[in-house]
Parts: sequence; structure tokens; C-alpha cells
Amino acid sequence: MASAHSRMRCGEFRTTYQQDMTIFPTPLSRRTAVGAIIFLLLAPSFLSPYLLNLGIQIGYYGIAALGLNIVVGFTGQISLGHAAFFGFGAFASAWINNTTGIPVFFCIPLAGAMTMAVGLIVGIPAGRIKGLYLAIATLASQFILEDFFSRADWFTGGAYGAMANPFSVFGFEFNNDQRYWYVVLFYVVAMFLLGTNLLRTRDGRAFVAVRDHYLSAEIMGINLNKYRILSFGISSFYAGVGGALFAHYLGFVSAEGFTILLSIQFLGMIIIGGMGSVMGSLMGTAFMVLLPEVMEAGVHLVGSNTPGLTQALAYIKEMSIGLAIILFLIFEPDGLAHRWKMIKAYWKLYPFSY
Amino acid sequence: MRRMITLGTLLVASLALASTAFAAKMIPVGHLAALTGPTSDVGIPYGAGVADAMRYINAQGGIDGMEIEFETVDYAYNAPRAVATYKKWISSLNPVAIQGWGTADTEALVKFVAKDEVPYISASYSGHLTDPTGKSPKTKAPAPYNFFYGPSYSDACRGLVQWAADDWKAKGKDGKAKFIHMGDNHPYPNAPKEACAAYAEELGFEVLQPIVYSLKPADAKAQCLSLKDAAADYAYLANTSGSNISLLKSCATVGVETQFLTNVWGWDENSIEATGAPGDGIAWVVGAAKWGDDAPGMATLKEISKMSDSSGKEERPLHYVRGVCATFFMKEAMKNAAAMGEINGPNIKKGFEQMRDFVPAGLEGVCLPSTWTAEDHRGTTMVNIYTSSYNGGDFEMTKEATVEVPRRDEWLGW
Repeated sequence: MASAHSRMRCGEFRTTYQQDMTIFPTPLSRRTAVGAIIFLLLAPSFLSPYLLNLGIQIGYYGIAALGLNIVVGFTGQISLGHAAFFGFGAFASAWINNTTGIPVFFCIPLAGAMTMAVGLIVGIPAGRIKGLYLAIATLASQFILEDFFSRADWFTGGAYGAMANPFSVFGFEFNNDQRYWYVVLFYVVAMFLLGTNLLRTRDGRAFVAVRDHYLSAEIMGINLNKYRILSFGISSFYAGVGGALFAHYLGFVSAEGFTILLSIQFLGMIIIGGMGSVMGSLMGTAFMVLLPEVMEAGVHLVGSNTPGLTQALAYIKEMSIGLAIILFLIFEPDGLAHRWKMIKAYWKLYPFSY
Repeated sequence: MRRMITLGTLLVASLALASTAFAAKMIPVGHLAALTGPTSDVGIPYGAGVADAMRYINAQGGIDGMEIEFETVDYAYNAPRAVATYKKWISSLNPVAIQGWGTADTEALVKFVAKDEVPYISASYSGHLTDPTGKSPKTKAPAPYNFFYGPSYSDACRGLVQWAADDWKAKGKDGKAKFIHMGDNHPYPNAPKEACAAYAEELGFEVLQPIVYSLKPADAKAQCLSLKDAAADYAYLANTSGSNISLLKSCATVGVETQFLTNVWGWDENSIEATGAPGDGIAWVVGAAKWGDDAPGMATLKEISKMSDSSGKEERPLHYVRGVCATFFMKEAMKNAAAMGEINGPNIKKGFEQMRDFVPAGLEGVCLPSTWTAEDHRGTTMVNIYTSSYNGGDFEMTKEATVEVPRRDEWLGW
């Protein structure tokens, strides 16, 4: 019935819970999503390796950003240690593959599970504290893990880092951008579907209840501790899978890559994309990955004959990220996802917005 | 209208012609530099040396009529970023050789460059890069496509230890001298740690527990106090000059009286100036002639420097000169490759491995004579040791000794 409408309607006409919970409100949005995936499946045949590389980066960082969004945007906790979990997943996958010889295919989810275990342990104290104290506790986990990475020779190769083998299925190696694109695409689709569905379950709604008002949530019978720890665990699983994808893409994992700076960048991604939005995580990640590249292109376009500008490129890239976060906090605190919603609402009522 | 069409066709045709001509006459080379990050103090002059040398080679007509097309990327001493840059190059620039930088990234890339057959000339002189076949029992992984100009960190440290043993005797002290390694927990400072300690022990030193201090310049009084407590006679500083400046100043405050030794990246003109008197007497390794030395190749070096300093007045630090040498050895290897028929990775490797006590044309007296063979990538084991004194700003560098470190088989790849 109502779902048979092919276009957006100018108001809220949902009459059942089913309609309220649907992922795709109109057939057009479903077709667009399917079309986008088909487009992405064909993309390696015509996109340049440079663009594929950016797409792959958006993929693995996006998965980790969604994990962070689950703990920050949906459960209302704060985490300054997400990069360390991302790194743990990367090292874990390389380590499992290098020591046991289990194919990379299985190592990626296994690394996610191992990272989840670490996340649950970190979540135990973190589940009992709030606000600034929680921020400092997660900051501590960032530094503890970072130090562990540079000292645990048996696990990470110490300061030298670890080599990660390419992803392969029955001897077919996914060792270039065109091939690895599909691995990342598969995980992005699977993890984002999982994330969207998680938030439609009882547990997902419990997360939101904890975020919106923890006292009311507790009175309604939600075990605060359990859900806080669980959300850290799930978030770490996402970070671990993202990290493992990163490791087998680059082929080399080093402790230097997972500093507090990356943790802040993850926070930047979800702030720009939209806290508490699944698609926002991906939008924010795309923004953060593409912004430095756009800056670089811009500098080369304008400043090919002003050497000072080219030399300052490294700083311009870093500064633009900081500036973007500040501008978003001031002008669009709800992120790109909200902006997208506003654009849709505008066209929904166009041209009679009253 | 017809004229427009003719003009258009001509334009397109000339463009197509130009682009094919362009593509055929270029030698793609990747240049990975540390212009920012913890090693930028020495990375900037070295990177300038490499870039100037390549521009100079192009200005002189290139190699075998082909110009070098190089892309400089600042990777901020971040190994994962170096690996990402390498992967990007392999799918776009397709370099036949790479001028690289640090130990962490070079060692991470060893397997990649071996697989893709891209000769990699690093500014890392890690001893782990010297065994092309992997037959030495100490070698972790064979490094067939890795080259560097100068004595390896391990050999340089062995040379310094040798000098320290002579110094100890000359000063007429008795008992066992105490030797200590100091550096960050990072592949670069760690590279010579075990190899050098083993040789120090062999020469009769008592080797103390290493002390860790940050590669990023920071106050190091705590480390200096540990050094004072340990009462070391000789301390080998394994970091780069920026971090050594702060260490030496901290140690002067604390009142440490150890003889400091440091490697090729640990000391230079800028650090003598910045440290002042507390830096006096430090013994370090110099890998090429210094600016303004009386050498036949100095005229060429000055011409190269003019590529980025048209006034010709800038005085270049030691690292700049080594950057030029590393690039000129690559140029000669490319020439040898061209003589074999084609400038590609495997031929450039063979081009390097043909050199015996070789000095690039035009840089006589500036670069150390080097020898590479298919089994041994220790270009040279000659270690020139200098000391410096601040002298109220009019500083001096004095050559103390030249140590010819033996080429022991079991030291290959270590």
C-alpha cells in the first residue's frame, strides 16, 4: 500500500511500525542504492588507480568511523582511542596470518573479534565513568596500546613493524587497487548493512536510550553497564575489521600509523559526517579523505609558479582539516548527513514550502 | 571555418607528437624526502642535494639523451605514508629507480622493491640492507635492490668504536672502558645497536645497558643523569642532529663528562652552531668532502648547488653533499644500464654492481670511492672520523682518523 508510492511524500504518513523501521522509505531510494552498488562494482574498469586508492581509503576508514559513531553518536560515550583499536586490528590480522598461516580471508573477521575482545576489556572501566573521565580513560588506552605496539616484538614486530600478506582466495591474489576494491566494497556493504540493522534491534535502541538520557534508560530497565561495554566492543570490532583491511591493502603495518592524531581524525570524520548517522559516517570519511587531495590539486593549480605555496602544502593539508572541523561545528553541527536531509526536505516541498 | 579545422588538426597533431616525444625521453625516478617530521633537520639539506643533482644532470643533457623526470614527495618520516607513496608510484609514475630516505620505510619496502625490481637508493645506511643474496646467517631478509652511498651504520659505529679503543690507549688510561648506545626505540637508531655492541665487546669494552632518548628534540636531562650514573666513557648517539643538540645541551647542564660519538646524521655545521661549546669534541662520521674543501670535484658541486641557489653563496651542509653523491652514483648506474641496452630496474642494479672503487665523473675527491658486487652491497667500509670545536662561532672541523673497517663475511647484512 503506502510503500507502493514511488516518490517521496510531502508529510509523515507512516501508520505501522514496519513502515517506520524500513531502511528504504521509497522504491526510488532502494533502486538508487542498488544502482550505486552496481556502479561501484563496475568502477574498477574505468576509474584510475589514484581514484580507486582514494575509494579504498574511504572504505576502510569509513568502516572504522562507523564503529566510532556507534559508541559516540549512538551511545553517547566518548572515545579518544579509536586509532589504537584500528591499529590493533591491523597488527592482529597480520600476526594471525604470519604465525598460523590461516588465510587472510579468515584473518580479517578474526582480527575484528580479537579487537572486540580488547575493546570489551577497555570498556569495563570505561562503562562506569562518564564525560571527561571517560575521555581520559580512552586516551590512556590509546597510549597503552601504542606503547604495546612498539614493544611487543612477538606480536607487532616492534619498532620495525610487520609485513602483511595480500588478500587471496584460492591462490588468486587481490594485490592491486582494481582487485582490492572488491574486498573493501564487500566489507563496506556488509558492515554498513550490519550497522543499520543493529540500530533497528532492541540493543540498538537501548544504545540510543543510553545516549538520550541514561537515567530514564536505567529506569526503563536498560542495564547501563552492559550496553556501554557492548557498544565499546562493537565499536572495536568495526575498528578491527577496518584496520585489518588497511593492513592487507598496504602490506605493511607500523605503530607510527596509529597515533592520537588518527583518533582525532576519526572523531573529525563523524563530526563532519553527522553524529548518530550511519550514512553520515561514510560521508564524513569521504570528506576527510578527499579534502587534502582537493587542497593539493588546488595548490598545484594556483601555485605551480609560487614555490612557497607548494612547500607549505603539508601544512595547508593539515590546517584545512582543522578548519573544516571548526566550520562544521559552527555552521553545521549535525554534519553532512543532516545537510543532505535538509536538501531532500527542500525538494520534497518544492516549490511550496509552506 | 576551414582554417579553424586545419589549425585544430595541427594543434592536436603537434600535441600528440609532443606527448609521445615526451614519454620516450624521460627516466621516471621517485624521490621520497623528509622535509617535515622528526628528521627534517637533516632531511631538508639531503633532499635539496638529491633534487639539485637531478636538475643538474638534466641541465647537462640527461643520461643517454634522456632527462630524469622526478617527483618529490614529503612523507614526514612516516613509514606507512612512504609505503602508500610507493604503491601510488608503482601504478602511476612507474619509476625505474627511487631515491629514498629513512630506515623504517626503506626496510619496510625491501620486499616490495625486490618484487617490482626497482633499485632503491636510500639515505638509510642500515647494515640490514647490505646483503643482496641473503646467504649471510645474520641477514633477516635479502635486499637485492637496495643501495646506499657510504659506510653502513654498523660499520660506521665499528669504526668509531675502533677509534675509541685507540683513544683510550692514547690517553693512557687503564681498565676496561665503558661503552653505551643511546637512541630512540626506532629502526634507525636500533640498526647498529647489536652489531656495534658485539664489536665493542670484542675490542675489550664493557658494554652498558642502552639508554633511550627521543628522536624528536626534547629535554633529555633524565637520560643525561642516567648516563652520568652509568659513568660511561664513550656514548654512541644514534639519533639525528636535531635531537643530539638538545641531548648535548642537557648533558652539559647535568655535568656529564663522556666522550660522545655519533653517526653520519648525528652532527653537522648547523648543530655545531646551535649547540655551541657543549658540542665540542664530539667525534662523528663524515661521509663525503665538506663544502669548500680543496678537491677537484668541488667546482662541479658548486655548479650543482646553483640549481637552487643562483647566487652561489649558500654554504651547503655535509648532508647536501652526500645527497649529491648518492644521486650521481645512480646516474652512473643508469649510464651503465643504458650501455646494456635499456634503462630499467634490473639493468640499473647490474650497473651498480659493476662499480669497483668507483667515483662518479666530476666529483673526484668529493664522493668516497665505492664498490658494489652481486654478493655484497657494502659500498664502502671507509670511516672518516672528525671532531669539531665551536671556537666562539668560528667553528672548526678536524679530521681525526680514517678507519678501514674489515669486510668480514659474517658482518654482511648485520
